[in-house]
Amino acid sequence: MAVHRGKGLATVEYPTGMNQNGDPSQAWIKVKPDGRVDVFSGTADIGNGSKTVQSQIVAETIGVPYDWVTYDNSNTDSSPMCTGTFASRATFVAGNAVLKAARQVRERILAVASRELEIDPADLEVADGSVSVKGTPAKSMGVDEVAGAATFVHGELLTGDGAHLNPGAAIIDPTTGEVDKPPHAAISYAACTAEVEVDDETGDVRVLSLTQAYDIGRAMNPTLVEGQIDGGAVMGLGFGLLEDCYPYYPTAEHRGDGMNTYHVPTMAELPEIKNVLMENPSSGGPYGAKGIGEMSNNAQPAAIANAIHDAVGVWVTEFPITPERVLAALDAKSEGRSEPRREGRVVAFDEELSINSFTSAKTWGA
Amino acid sequence: MELTVNSVARTVQSPPLSSLLTVLREELDITSPKAGCESGGCGACTVLVDGQPRRSCLTAVCAVDGAEVTTVEGLGTPEDLSRVQQAFIHHYAAQCGFCTDGLIVAATAYVGGGGSADTGDIGEALAGHYCRCTGYVKILEAVAAVARGDTFDTASTASSANNTYVTIAGAES
Repeated sequence: MAVHRGKGLATVEYPTGMNQNGDPSQAWIKVKPDGRVDVFSGTADIGNGSKTVQSQIVAETIGVPYDWVTYDNSNTDSSPMCTGTFASRATFVAGNAVLKAARQVRERILAVASRELEIDPADLEVADGSVSVKGTPAKSMGVDEVAGAATFVHGELLTGDGAHLNPGAAIIDPTTGEVDKPPHAAISYAACTAEVEVDDETGDVRVLSLTQAYDIGRAMNPTLVEGQIDGGAVMGLGFGLLEDCYPYYPTAEHRGDGMNTYHVPTMAELPEIKNVLMENPSSGGPYGAKGIGEMSNNAQPAAIANAIHDAVGVWVTEFPITPERVLAALDAKSEGRSEPRREGRVVAFDEELSINSFTSAKTWGA
Repeated sequence: MELTVNSVARTVQSPPLSSLLTVLREELDITSPKAGCESGGCGACTVLVDGQPRRSCLTAVCAVDGAEVTTVEGLGTPEDLSRVQQAFIHHYAAQCGFCTDGLIVAATAYVGGGGSADTGDIGEALAGHYCRCTGYVKILEAVAAVARGDTFDTASTASSANNTYVTIAGAES
């Protein structure tokens, strides 16, 4: 009876947002007479920081200070349509919508400033809340003055609207599965190594470290990216070792019904977590962003399962990897009836298996 | 029943077996203690009773008659935040915020009791608090920094030691 150490690796690739025309986001922006900017977008901030990141995109694109921007998603009547906060889509899909709206606002600010300054808009630029003549920064006026002039001199409202929809792809060659355009908006990649200790007497597994690398596109807000990835790592640890939503699925009555019966990792289980964040900008995302929220908890369970095999030579093929399952696998091995590793299923854009075909008017039954 | 809540004397009218959590939230309108599992499992309702962290959901108000109760509202003001509050801001130790109030209260008791900056000790002390967003990494950094005696600039965010950034050369822009 002993404690064994092992290491395991797993990788994940993750497409950003939903695809195939099923996942629109819309946004609109208005500028108040004092130059302050109101953004109306439908993605709710559930702690992921989407208000912060979308406000950053708007401030950067228009050329005003971040604290001039108010992000309003207070109700579904005043906010435009958005499918929601899921699928790692808020920064990418809703971010693209506010980016397009902010570009329009910038054009309208330049148009009004052009009349005020009697300079061609092409010779003007906006930065830090000020419109100035390119090459002659002394000749300028504040965005607040432009918005005031729009309101009280020109009788205009500075607004912009934008929308984004990841485009749908159609199969053009059924034999090869070739599609006419990329079926995914942007794909993020990650790898995770887990180092574990397995007690072969109790079946207890302790994760010592998780070392991870993430292709994140661009870290629009590094602190928020780190928070998502640290949080995902611990959630993935929970999926690997502790969490089982529906142990007798589809029967639902055995599931944990509260936070004291559905156990998630605590600070006492926290392994050493090290992240390498690789900036590899996407062509379709705002400022090169990709969606990294949801993928951040995918690789850890498989990496932990591989590390357990490295440690004690058994494949545990069901999550969560509880002490009971580890001991059962060890018993099976010692009795010479080891469970083989399950073969994965290779799927290369099979139309029958691709459930996101919103455009083909297909109904998906049970 | 009489309670001193955040240094203010309050008279409580709720039935004696009401939970302290219910009294604070429903009668006294102090909403920082959160109703999570309401059975002692998650830590979101934690408050200080005479300086000690307690699950307010499991504490009958009659059992703490005459006690001094402190919630996050009593630790600092927006203009004059406590050191633990400053650390949580500087280290970005909150995401959705649901667990944050209970953790700040418990961390205040931990460092107030002379708790060390050792991550194992902090993990042991705060393991009764579930957080689903942060992965605990930045919470641990914040509490360790308070225990070390760091000072905090709440206008800036600390860089986190466990992250390395790599820019891919020639990447698409």
